Amino acid sequence: MNADILHLDNVTMQFGGVVAVNNLTLDVKEHEIVALIGPNGAGKTTAFNAITGVYEPTNGEISFCGKTVVRNHPQGKMKKLYAGLNADKYSGEVLKPTPDMLTKLGMARTFQNIRLWKSQTVFDNVLIAKHMLRTSNVFSATFRLNRQEEKQHREEVSELLKTVGLDDVKDDLATGLPYGKQRRLEIARALATKPKLLLLDEPAAGMNPQETNELTDFIGEIRDRFSLTVLLIEHHMNLVMDISDRIYVLDFGKLIAQGNPNEIQHNEKVIDAYLGVEKNA
Amino acid sequence: MKLANKTMNIFFIAGLYLTVFLLDIVPGVPPMLLTVLKKGVIFSLVAVSMNLLNGFTGLFSLGQAGFMLMGAYSYAVINISSSLKPVVYQYYSPFFNFSLTEVLGNALGGFGVVLGVTVSMIIAGLVAAFMAFLIGLPVLKLKSDYLAIATLGFAEIVRALIQLEALAPVTNGSQLLRGFPYFRGIFIPFIIVGICIAVIVLLINSTYGRAFKAIRDDEIAAEAMGINLASHKRLAFVISSFFAGVSGALLAMYQTTVQANTFKSAMTYEILLIVVIGGIGSVSGSCIGSFLFIACSEWWLRFLDNSNNNIFGLNILRSGFRMVVFSFVIMIMVLFFRKGIMGEREISSENIVKSVKSLICRIKKGRCNER
Amino acid sequence: MDFFAKWFPYFLSGVSVGGQYALIAIGYTMVYGILRLINFAHGDIFMAAGIMMIYLTGVFPVWLSIVFVILLTVLLGFAVERVAYKPLRQAPRMSVMISAIGVSYLIQNTVAYLTGGLTKQYVEIGWISDVVTVMGASTKRVTLITPILTLVLVVLLVFLINHTKIGMGMRAVSKDFETSLLMGIKINRIISATFIIGSFLAAVGSVLYFTNYTGVTYTSGAMPGLKAFVAAVFGGIGSVPGAVVGAFIIGICETLLKGMGLTAFSDAFTFALLIVILVVKPTGLFGEKLTEKV
Repeated sequence: MNADILHLDNVTMQFGGVVAVNNLTLDVKEHEIVALIGPNGAGKTTAFNAITGVYEPTNGEISFCGKTVVRNHPQGKMKKLYAGLNADKYSGEVLKPTPDMLTKLGMARTFQNIRLWKSQTVFDNVLIAKHMLRTSNVFSATFRLNRQEEKQHREEVSELLKTVGLDDVKDDLATGLPYGKQRRLEIARALATKPKLLLLDEPAAGMNPQETNELTDFIGEIRDRFSLTVLLIEHHMNLVMDISDRIYVLDFGKLIAQGNPNEIQHNEKVIDAYLGVEKNA
Repeated sequence: MKLANKTMNIFFIAGLYLTVFLLDIVPGVPPMLLTVLKKGVIFSLVAVSMNLLNGFTGLFSLGQAGFMLMGAYSYAVINISSSLKPVVYQYYSPFFNFSLTEVLGNALGGFGVVLGVTVSMIIAGLVAAFMAFLIGLPVLKLKSDYLAIATLGFAEIVRALIQLEALAPVTNGSQLLRGFPYFRGIFIPFIIVGICIAVIVLLINSTYGRAFKAIRDDEIAAEAMGINLASHKRLAFVISSFFAGVSGALLAMYQTTVQANTFKSAMTYEILLIVVIGGIGSVSGSCIGSFLFIACSEWWLRFLDNSNNNIFGLNILRSGFRMVVFSFVIMIMVLFFRKGIMGEREISSENIVKSVKSLICRIKKGRCNER
Repeated sequence: MDFFAKWFPYFLSGVSVGGQYALIAIGYTMVYGILRLINFAHGDIFMAAGIMMIYLTGVFPVWLSIVFVILLTVLLGFAVERVAYKPLRQAPRMSVMISAIGVSYLIQNTVAYLTGGLTKQYVEIGWISDVVTVMGASTKRVTLITPILTLVLVVLLVFLINHTKIGMGMRAVSKDFETSLLMGIKINRIISATFIIGSFLAAVGSVLYFTNYTGVTYTSGAMPGLKAFVAAVFGGIGSVPGAVVGAFIIGICETLLKGMGLTAFSDAFTFALLIVILVVKPTGLFGEKLTEKV
């Protein structure tokens, strides 16, 4: 049995009156591929943003690699939601990391609507991600006292681009690439930070079936090669069912099912959530 | 090939400096040209420093005049020669009783003067940088136009504070400061600015510079890739302010006097327009823009101000008309040539050779197929 | 009583200055609400109105000049938007802001050229410059008129925004520019209307403001413009009542500071206030919070 790499404990995200994620508890074990699925507006991306530090959860605790990275339990604010539950357990502590801190701990992500650095080449997009691994300060970097490190980073980037198959377009502008390659580049960029956990937000969005198949293979491949753990959000059921070890299903911010692909496929609640329930007259 | 380009670039720059040096020692150079070069090179530095923020880091800051003012005052107050102190500080007893350059000059001779001026300029930069460090933390959290207005406000605060009666023993209130060492020729400012811009270029091409560009292109992605936004923005802000402070000191030397009222927000606007004309995100563009801007406003359009040049008996040309025409030209640039002269490209010997080649080609054949 | 006698005149003129700032601030806040643009040229339009008044009174009687000033200022504001901002509708926000700075530069230089860079004496407008005595403090009549006129105009404006079709359009565009466009709202008409209203109020403000000062020069618009902008930010940019409240607060604080003998500090105070607000509560008193979607 592998250890938990990511653990969410009762995470709630509330925007004004809207509860986007409601008491989500989830764990991802080392070397697993876990999918987070659900109909549109189920709160998947919000959960992602809470995990990566973009949003501060209204409530709950997130630990990563055995370390608590986010903890926010403002008693009063969420008392209603917790009424009758284990409300006493929580104190008023707040741990609020910024996304870059979490990335440094070993989380890296991609975005639903691709966010590459537009004016940079493919190579530089990946090279910039190496910036966080630097040991040089601004002085030594400006006066080129970090040649060794710079050279090493450049070599690693070249290597990485070869691995993901973007070697031939490395001097092109990132935005000039076809859609599928931009997605791939975003993954490569995330890999450049040497993550333990890779979070993919709809990596197959907008891809045709063939590209999706390639992506499925690709994700499996990089998992093995870089010994990664992957958490992904996806709508392409083929991809999800092929690749995932386990699946969590969200609907209206709530976890409605979890299990392996086979279990999920036959889960009544999941089918209802996706197809809608016929109202009994 | 790459090495050859590098060598050519070095030759290019060396040639430039040789020209400047010759202009300095050859008699008969029009004094207007020297003025334009002198002022232009100083504004190049501040424009490049602004470009580092606005063009490369994507922080729309309008505090440049404030930082220049701090640099100019810092340089001036520690360097006013002791014999002139009583004259300059007419109404106050000066807080600084020494002149750094004088002290070092007396101790070490000619070398001491050079050292004194250099150290004072670094101090001028550091004072501005320190101020940027202090206000950076709260102000840089703000988004685009809020940041612009906050930094603009900051520059105004600095200008008001420096004229405060309580600070008068240091700053001489709203009276002007003079009597500090300054340069005569154009070679020295070119050298100083050259070094400063070289450092900025090195920074831009380093891993930190790339991180700045990432922040400019997409802040959220940059943060997700482990770039700490707060510390990087602050870094860019502090470095930019440092060089703004140095250019303030240079401007003080150029003017030979310093007065707070010359550093109004209009000055920041002019620097911004220089950056825009040259191309936001291009260092060489900022330099070209600066020389063009200064040349137009101080020299080439002068004839428009001369009422003797009127034809047909119309009384259109008179003092001030030059600036009207000039601002029209700027508006046209802003509206129709938004990328400026250089866009985001840079001048290098390679690019020059390329464009000259294609020009020759075009003249020969009428059009050119080579790409 | 002594205390009252000393500070009441300052308070009174503070309210008056606040009213004048409010009239300018509305122009900023409305334009920002709709275009997300700090219209740096607004202060200069205000100044241009002052200069126009001086030239026009040389030819026409005062009341007719005021009418012309208002018409011409409105025309200027309209033209600035059409020429300098409309072509940049699709451009990044920074470009539009730079264009606004360019316009400001152009207006200032043009006025400097026309006036020869000199300070022009502002006209004495008979009735409103008369000295009256209120509760023991003597002051110009304009001091009393300003806040009242400001409030009347603001009430009318709020009515316009809340109860007319064009006002509905303005609210829609400020909420969501793109969607409004898709819904068939005539964006350009709405934006022009915004600039017209803003310039109209600036023109009225300029008559009231410059009456208190001896002269107008080409840089006269910059400071009141910036302060009015601070007022708009203070109140929560995009909100008309916010801008008015902010302007009154700033106007009063400023004159009280002057009363304490801190004249040099009164400008710095305004900007210090700006930075404090931006840092503590960037949305101002009545502003709405915007979050970026990831």
